[in-house]
Amino acid sequence: MMQITCPHCGPRAQSEFIYERTVDSVVPLDAAPEQAMATLFARTNPRGVDEEIWRHTYGCRAWLIMTRHRVTNEISAARAVGPEALP
Amino acid sequence: MSGPMRDPKGATISFTFDGKTYQARAGDTLAAALLANGIGLVGRSFKYHRPRGIMTAGIEEPNALVTVGDGGRAEPNTRATDVFVYDGLIARSQNRWPNLSFDVGAVFSLAAPMLGAGFYYKTFFGSAKRWMFYEYFIRKAAGLGNAPTKADPDKFSQRAAFCDVLVVGAGPAGLQAALEQAEAGKRVILVEQDAILGASLIRDPQKLDAAWVAATATRIRAAGGRILTRTTASGYWEHDLVTLTQRLAEPGEAPSSGVTQRLWHVRAGQVILATGSIERPMAFAHNDRPGVMLSQAARTYVRRFGVLPGKRVVIATNNDDAYMTAQALKEAGAEIVAILDARPEFSDAASGAVSAGLPVWANAVPSSVTGARHCLSGVTALIDGQSKSWKADLIAVSGGFTPVVHLHMQAGGTLDWNEAAQAFVPAASRQNVSTIGGAANPDPVFPVTPVSNPKKSFIDFQNDVSLADVDLAWAEGYRSVEHLKRYTTLGMATDQGKLSNMAALGRLAEKQGVSIPEAGLTTFRPPYTPVSMGAIAGAGAKNAGAHVRRLALYDVHAAKNPIGQPLGYWFRPRAYPQGQETLAQAALREAKAVRTGVGMTDVSTLAKFEVSGPDAAAFLDIICATTVSKLAVGRGRYTFMLREDGIVFDDGTVWRLDENRYLLTSSTGGADRMATHISYVRQYLCPQLKVSAVNVQEHYAGIAIAGPKAKPVMDALMKADAPRHMSTVPSDIAGVPVIVLAASYSGERAFEVYVEASKAASVWAACEAEVTAQGGCLYGLEAMEFLRIEKGHLVVGGEVDGRMTPMDLALDKMLNKAGGYVGATGLSRPALSEPGRRQLVGLEAISGDIPEGAMLITQKGASPEGHVSAAAFRILEGGSVALGQLKDGFSRHGEELIASSPTRGQEARVRVVHPHFYDTAGERYRD
Amino acid sequence: MTDVTIAPLPAAPLHVFEIWSNPAAVADRFKAATGFALPPTGRSGGNDALRVIRFEPTVWLVEGDVSALGDVLGTDGALTAIGGGIVRVRLSGAGWRTLLMEGGVLNAEDPTFSAGCSASTIIDHVNVRLHVVSDDVCDAYVPLSFSADLLHFWQEATPALFDGVAH
Repeated sequence: MMQITCPHCGPRAQSEFIYERTVDSVVPLDAAPEQAMATLFARTNPRGVDEEIWRHTYGCRAWLIMTRHRVTNEISAARAVGPEALP
Repeated sequence: MSGPMRDPKGATISFTFDGKTYQARAGDTLAAALLANGIGLVGRSFKYHRPRGIMTAGIEEPNALVTVGDGGRAEPNTRATDVFVYDGLIARSQNRWPNLSFDVGAVFSLAAPMLGAGFYYKTFFGSAKRWMFYEYFIRKAAGLGNAPTKADPDKFSQRAAFCDVLVVGAGPAGLQAALEQAEAGKRVILVEQDAILGASLIRDPQKLDAAWVAATATRIRAAGGRILTRTTASGYWEHDLVTLTQRLAEPGEAPSSGVTQRLWHVRAGQVILATGSIERPMAFAHNDRPGVMLSQAARTYVRRFGVLPGKRVVIATNNDDAYMTAQALKEAGAEIVAILDARPEFSDAASGAVSAGLPVWANAVPSSVTGARHCLSGVTALIDGQSKSWKADLIAVSGGFTPVVHLHMQAGGTLDWNEAAQAFVPAASRQNVSTIGGAANPDPVFPVTPVSNPKKSFIDFQNDVSLADVDLAWAEGYRSVEHLKRYTTLGMATDQGKLSNMAALGRLAEKQGVSIPEAGLTTFRPPYTPVSMGAIAGAGAKNAGAHVRRLALYDVHAAKNPIGQPLGYWFRPRAYPQGQETLAQAALREAKAVRTGVGMTDVSTLAKFEVSGPDAAAFLDIICATTVSKLAVGRGRYTFMLREDGIVFDDGTVWRLDENRYLLTSSTGGADRMATHISYVRQYLCPQLKVSAVNVQEHYAGIAIAGPKAKPVMDALMKADAPRHMSTVPSDIAGVPVIVLAASYSGERAFEVYVEASKAASVWAACEAEVTAQGGCLYGLEAMEFLRIEKGHLVVGGEVDGRMTPMDLALDKMLNKAGGYVGATGLSRPALSEPGRRQLVGLEAISGDIPEGAMLITQKGASPEGHVSAAAFRILEGGSVALGQLKDGFSRHGEELIASSPTRGQEARVRVVHPHFYDTAGERYRD
Repeated sequence: MTDVTIAPLPAAPLHVFEIWSNPAAVADRFKAATGFALPPTGRSGGNDALRVIRFEPTVWLVEGDVSALGDVLGTDGALTAIGGGIVRVRLSGAGWRTLLMEGGVLNAEDPTFSAGCSASTIIDHVNVRLHVVSDDVCDAYVPLSFSADLLHFWQEATPALFDGVAH
């Protein structure tokens, strides 16, 4: 079980989080059909560092983008996404 | 072994082994107590049923596996060296029939040439007949202890802990490290798998004795350190999380607090491994017999337990440590008949032993031993190439030391080869872990190449793998150590090769003509020692793991004794039988009540979201594939949602409660998925929107009232005119504020009443009173299913199965023409408009009842062209009807097909029809 | 100290207070209206009449009378009632920290997790929001549907809480 540093809550156990998808799988609402198809069906699957979208589902419920090495589980960055919030 | 090996004085604890009662002393392991009582034969080996005794004094024990405890508390395959005797302990030997001394299975020993490496593979790949022949014998003979068949009466706990420093192993190095860290102000957890602290100091107290151990422990605790004994660090996971298994009761023992084991999840800032080393056996013929013991184990039995494991002892070693064993055994009264030192020259320790009058032989290795069931009778050695024999009842062997690097390797660490010690030692790690003490610096040894008969020279005692099996694997072309492991099953028993790995690697390297590090090493994975399934399940072990989510009105329903039905994590009433009614009878009566009068049901589990803000409508236009923004205040409509690839993933209703406030409902089973989707769109895709989307699934309990008499019931409850179809008003029932929605799932005039869950009971009671007064009744999920199938309404997980588009479900007329919703782009991909897709159809039985899940075929033997997603009966008229998905189904109305379910052995002839079987004009739910 | 008692509290009004725009201005209006500041993530503010606990970046859980808060939010946010689906459970006695380690993953034994702190976490597979009231009291906000099971879990765990743990 990994330890993930939530940008809002600090270090927390992986079981509070849910992996959702990779950043390159996001289909923007205004995506052209070809772009949407490529994003959905022709994504990369790197053996190494990837940008992943996780959610602190059972914590602050916020979304975050995590830079994780998919072999060693080293997490080199985790940044918040979402609406503007008070500090 | 002949007769008791310890003075019985002080032995006050009674235990039984194979039904016979013996006495033990407090602090004895079962192994020590058995030896003290002169029991040398403890079990039979896995494959050949060879007699096996006690080889070690620790968790690495491969041979002395017993079942401890009775009934649901029985723990099979427990190492006798890892159980502390308590009064009333019951132990039984395993893998023997009819009894331990006379075991019929031992004939397998005679068949050993046939059962060598790869036996199973060869048998599986041979003719089926061959397997059928062997199967009977294999099933009977293979295996270790039997799993208990009764439920475990005890509880398991799981506990989180955090510390700055976790120290694993309370030997001299671990105690010292824990003391230094604790006194430096660090939060320290020190774990020890033994029941007492000290590890090697228990058998070798010359330099640091028990008083030092006790004083050090006191200081660690005084500095705030936590010491856990009988606790094994069994897994090292990501980011310095270490799992510990703590025994609060011994195997088979009734725990004082009800909890038998605790699984700790320790997140450590730093981990220090002081895990020591495990002594290696030597390979020689019949080295698996009772009476062959590791040198340090023999010393432990003498010094820790006061048990003398042999009276005429041969010692075989390739290092200096075994000379301490010679001394300990001699002091305890044993006769040392020979010390076989593999080294060509005498070391200082060897010379010292010679001076003390002990018979030491250089360049000497054991080649075979002889013995009967229970004991050893003689040892033969090669000395300078010449054979020499002694009579002896014990051979204490030391083939060197294997550092316990398991946790280091589980953490992703690499290993270095230490040539002097002939051992792998921890090197780099990507985690914050270091190794100290004997695990990092094993004693130097002299490399020994086995010269004995390989067929009887065992290296993996638990899986009966001999040197000859390694040779065979090599001869058959298995070169990689990973292949060798799997082909021979070496290292794959419950001891995970703690004694055998190095011997196998040595043999493989010898065959390859390379050094051991070049031969490679298999990967160590958790757990270090076996972990009970109950510990992994935790408290959930008692009720199958998952929680059952309770309805807010749980007590109300429970009082009516409904037939229950799991729905996701929920448990909902399926029907409320009266008298001797069956499920089908009750459901049909309830459904008829809805069709002809009025019924009510609990719909609290539906997903519900309250969406507020100036951008609420814009937000819902993104979530929903239908137009929401044109909805007037007080009105609602059916809606559905798409995945990004255009597939329908949920449906529900959306209601405009106020200018900037909406209520969105969706399916129960998809509630969590929908909550995530809504949050994703809100937080990730559209952070700029002025909207608040709050999950109110549990805030509101929901009551549905349906039937031709639903309107008068609602009028009475609201003391006002109930809203017309697809309208909503705030109201008041029994003095409690409610939201009333007029929506129909059943096909009848119907309403849903939403009330704050904590206040739902009085509203339910008022509704039930009014429904009953109108001659109605409660209905459950089964009746609801009948009603919605007859009406042709969809269910998520049934017709909406993750493969269907809005076009396939005939929902495309409702799509938001302006687009902009999630899935609009995906929907445009050409594959979704091609012919040959499965489409929603109704099915009417011509003969037989339509089986749910049946495949739809044109004739027997044809490929399926669709399937039945839900089947029911016409509620008033009778007759079997169903919903299904059929290739190009829209254009096949009127066609006759077979609905065949080979798994149920059921079949029906069906006609493809429009999926609405009831009130196709949709008149009944309007006023 | 090894004691802990587990007691459900009566149902109370609970609201989600969410800000979607101009958070600094809302914070100013909030302070002016209530006399205390909107707390940062992981903290609570207020008093027994109106307690505001922040579990999420843009969302606060409000316990008590929210009548003044509609004006505070104006068009910059919304209040939504959620109290019907939450059971408040009071854990009292110094043993509450140890109890929360049972089946949990959050470091409730950390002394900096003290009065006025809040955290949302998972305990025995249930998503639970925690608010530390004092050294001896922690309130848990438990989903109604899981509350019976979680109360049972806590009650079962209590007798063995300190078994095998040297203090």
